[in-house]
Amino acid sequence: MGSEARKRSRERLKEQRAKEKRAAQRKKTLLVVGVAAIVVVLIVGVGYAVLTADRRDSGFEGALPPQVLQEDGSVVLAEEGVEAPVVEVYADYQCPACRQFELLNGDTLKESAAEGEAIVHYRPVSIFAQQPAPISSNSLRAGAAARAAADAGVFVQYNDLLFENQPAEGQEGFTVAELQEWFREAGGTEEEAETFDARVEEEAEVVERFTQDYLPALTESAAEEIGEDTLGTMVLSDLISWGADHGHDPSFLEGTYTGEIIDATGTIYTRYSGDNMFRGTPAVYINGELLSNDTAMTVRGLTQAIAEADAGEVQTEPLGDGGEADTSQ
Amino acid sequence: MDTADDTTAPPASPTRWPAVQPWITLACRLGLAGVLLYAAVSKYPPALSIQAVEAYDLFPVEIAELIGYTLPLFEIALALLLLVGLATRFTGAVSALLMIAFIAGIVSAMARGLSIDCGCFGGGGQVDPGETSYGLSIARDIGFAALGAFIAIWPRSPFAVDRALGLFR
Repeated sequence: MGSEARKRSRERLKEQRAKEKRAAQRKKTLLVVGVAAIVVVLIVGVGYAVLTADRRDSGFEGALPPQVLQEDGSVVLAEEGVEAPVVEVYADYQCPACRQFELLNGDTLKESAAEGEAIVHYRPVSIFAQQPAPISSNSLRAGAAARAAADAGVFVQYNDLLFENQPAEGQEGFTVAELQEWFREAGGTEEEAETFDARVEEEAEVVERFTQDYLPALTESAAEEIGEDTLGTMVLSDLISWGADHGHDPSFLEGTYTGEIIDATGTIYTRYSGDNMFRGTPAVYINGELLSNDTAMTVRGLTQAIAEADAGEVQTEPLGDGGEADTSQ
Repeated sequence: MDTADDTTAPPASPTRWPAVQPWITLACRLGLAGVLLYAAVSKYPPALSIQAVEAYDLFPVEIAELIGYTLPLFEIALALLLLVGLATRFTGAVSALLMIAFIAGIVSAMARGLSIDCGCFGGGGQVDPGETSYGLSIARDIGFAALGAFIAIWPRSPFAVDRALGLFR
């Protein structure tokens, strides 16, 4: 019996040991995977808490300082006679990154203005005016409507509503009916609303003509006569002046808010140079210095940049003859 | 003990593999970790990363926001695990799956005729229809997925916490 039984029991023992070893290995693997999962959860959890720590959980509810409409259609939000850094915000209502900026830092700006820590200069533009419709038409209609809301002194409120309701890119949105409804939501009175409604309807027609007939025809003849390459480098307002001399009469834009926002967009490309050159929206400047994305697109960054800046001067003049400029020379 | 005959064996490729493979896996770990780390850092600040997710038009606003915040963090976590070599096989597999999810997202954007930047390494959002680079993005992600798959199939590598713990020796 001896050797046969001993051999069998030795085999059983070996089998047993292998089984135990496998079980131990499985346990170890499970443990390591568990530890790894905890590491992942920790990094994601702590990181999320840190990144969102500076977001406000409640919006700015305080009273807004005066909004002063400027000659070029932009709006300055500041306490009267305040000495503070000037924060310029260039944004297109159809631009998703501008919406993110507004959602993240819109209240930071309002609060800074309300506390006299900043002079906030809202400068809506339409960098999408030459894109295919409906991107171009959405952008222009919204820009013109915001300008009309500024007439009634509710630009800032209306600006918020436009970004909150931004249509997905490529989808028809900012309809005339919506734009009119939001004006009432922004606090426009019934009386003002009548003027506003009429204006928005007019502007929508101008936008339609601009995007459907005028610009395609102008682009086509410009492409033929000056070449695609030169055309690609041309600012829209320059293209329009070229068109004026070449049989594309832009006079239907005169006196319209659509025309005004196209003009405002045309001037930003030459306003700043070098590192501060305007490259796209959203662009946030403090006293003429372009902020990096890391600064402008985080609450902490923007708050800090405002706190560290010196007082500045608004570069535009208020509209009208009131003479109640908020920055005195 | 039972590998003692390695030295006497002819230097044919099958026997070289056990010696070479751990170093390839190490290279894959470091390479993929570098890619993930760079991808995460370039997505900062989160506001822009959210916008890149929204451009895919696949998720409701709240979910897009959550992804915008957490995806870069998840990438950092995977990169760290790959660097130190903890749970190597699983980290490699999860990384490969993540890349496949990215590829699916890009393909869906392509199929729906969107013209967006993939936002893989920062950026993202709408671009001119002529400026999309879906092919390149997909090819790149296939490459990264292959690195992850290699790690998952052959997790044994030097300089790994796993090894110190007695896993994938």
